[in-house]
Amino acid sequence: MADLDLVTPATSDEAVAALRTLPPEETAILAGGTDLLFDLEEGRLSARHLLSLRRLPWRTLDWNGPTLTIGSTLPLRTLELDPEVRTRLPGLLEGVRAVGSVALRHRATLGGNLGRSAPASDLVPVLLALDAEVELLGPTGTRTLSVDRFVQGSRRTARGPSELIRAVRIPEARPSAYVLQRVRPFHDISHMAIAVSFSPSDRRWRVAVAGFPPRPILLPEAATFLGGEHPDAPAVLRAAQEITERAPIVADRRASEEYRRQLVRPLLERAVRAATGGGG
Amino acid sequence: MSAHPLRLRVNGRPVELADVPVTERLLDTLRGRLDLKGTKEGCRTGGCGACTVLVDGRSTLSCLTLAQEAAEAEITTIEGVGSDAEGHRVQAAFEAVGAVQCGYCTPGFVMALTGLLKERGAAAPFGEFLEELGGNLCRCTGYGAIVRAAAALRAEAASR
Ligand SMILES: Cc1cc2nc3c(=O)[nH]c(=O)nc-3n(C[C@H](O)[C@H](O)[C@H](O)COP(=O)(O)OP(=O)(O)OC[C@H]3O[C@@H](n4cnc5c(N)ncnc54)[C@H](O)[C@@H]3O)c2cc1C
Ligand code: FES
Ligand code: FES
Repeated sequence: MADLDLVTPATSDEAVAALRTLPPEETAILAGGTDLLFDLEEGRLSARHLLSLRRLPWRTLDWNGPTLTIGSTLPLRTLELDPEVRTRLPGLLEGVRAVGSVALRHRATLGGNLGRSAPASDLVPVLLALDAEVELLGPTGTRTLSVDRFVQGSRRTARGPSELIRAVRIPEARPSAYVLQRVRPFHDISHMAIAVSFSPSDRRWRVAVAGFPPRPILLPEAATFLGGEHPDAPAVLRAAQEITERAPIVADRRASEEYRRQLVRPLLERAVRAATGGGG
Repeated sequence: MSAHPLRLRVNGRPVELADVPVTERLLDTLRGRLDLKGTKEGCRTGGCGACTVLVDGRSTLSCLTLAQEAAEAEITTIEGVGSDAEGHRVQAAFEAVGAVQCGYCTPGFVMALTGLLKERGAAAPFGEFLEELGGNLCRCTGYGAIVRAAAALRAEAASR
């Protein structure tokens, strides 16, 4: 592996200046590196420049009323230990805690998880269910996109070649939950996962499923079957049936389609129970 | 391509290296350049925890960290952890319950638990201890003794 040249901007202005000069096709962006170092080692990147985000003042977590804005380079572990995240966005907490190990989360970031955009990401489904938005910073300024529009497939996003993920915004604290099926209780990749949230402002449920290609998806029709704030058992069953029968669930090397469809009902029941205060 | 000097602090001592390639991992800098071979290489892909060190007091996988990204940070390895109060307690707990067999995984476990004590305190819920240990693999002990060492650390903290 040929060596790279390292660029470490310390301010957003310096980062933008670097983006203006570095050729995007030869520049790799480094946050925690837990995904990128794989790609570097496997020779998947033809980068000559490494743009490290380490010195940028983006390791932030700001609550503004019901809205949470998370700087893209905040280590996931810091997010998970925030007492308000624990109580106000329980689904986000569970998604973060599902990522790798504690030592991994000391370096891994939300920006990196979105940048990688893995089909089995534990954070993308939660961000989808929470209506989160991505703030992108590029040579000509910032723009904001829903996570649903940002994430396109494995390693495919709507990020422009010279844009950085600056922050992620979750519009409101919500009852929410994330449940997943995996083989080992810690530090394992999910076979299938469901994230849910109930919005106190529009009084609707959001349901996202994840774990299979090409990307985690929102299922708005199924979510309407859940109805109001406290869905009863038949409502959850109808929503689960809708997902089992209609969602574009597929097989990959980790699990069969049939197994995944069978997981829908138990996972959805657990998720709704957890989000409505009944424990996961 | 120009040289990449690197300044680190390792086990309390300043270290200056004239040229460390940008793609070099902290694991390789510690083992190869500084001869600190207590930090082990297992999977090199973040899956086993054998390479765990502390970076600014937090458990960190040195196989997934570029050395240049640790510039100016305070790094503690298994060679230095004994002079740290929490680190020494973890080592003593491992010894007391016999949590070491071949020992290959032990530096990683000791660093992970020391990091947890520093970050969360010994009174953290036991579930947090298990979660921290969940990132480390051991092929010999069956984990029973390691979990007992973690439990002893909590009990000891409660009685202090
Ligand atoms: C052992 C192991 C276990 C894992 N387990 C899980 C798991 O259970 N669940 C899960 O979801 N993930 C898991 N991952 C994947 C990974 O840890 C996460 O995706 C993590 O959040 C990536 O963050 P990072 O900061 O390390 O990203 P990096 O590796 O630094 O970056 C990842 C990608 O995003 C780009 N990027 C990073 N930041 C930005 C930015 N601000 N703007 C634009 N582009 C950016 C990079 O160029 C790169 O392409 C695991 C990885 C390993 C090695
Ligand atoms: S060698 Fe680093 S986690 Fe296995
Ligand atoms: S003691 Fe041998 S691997 Fe753990």
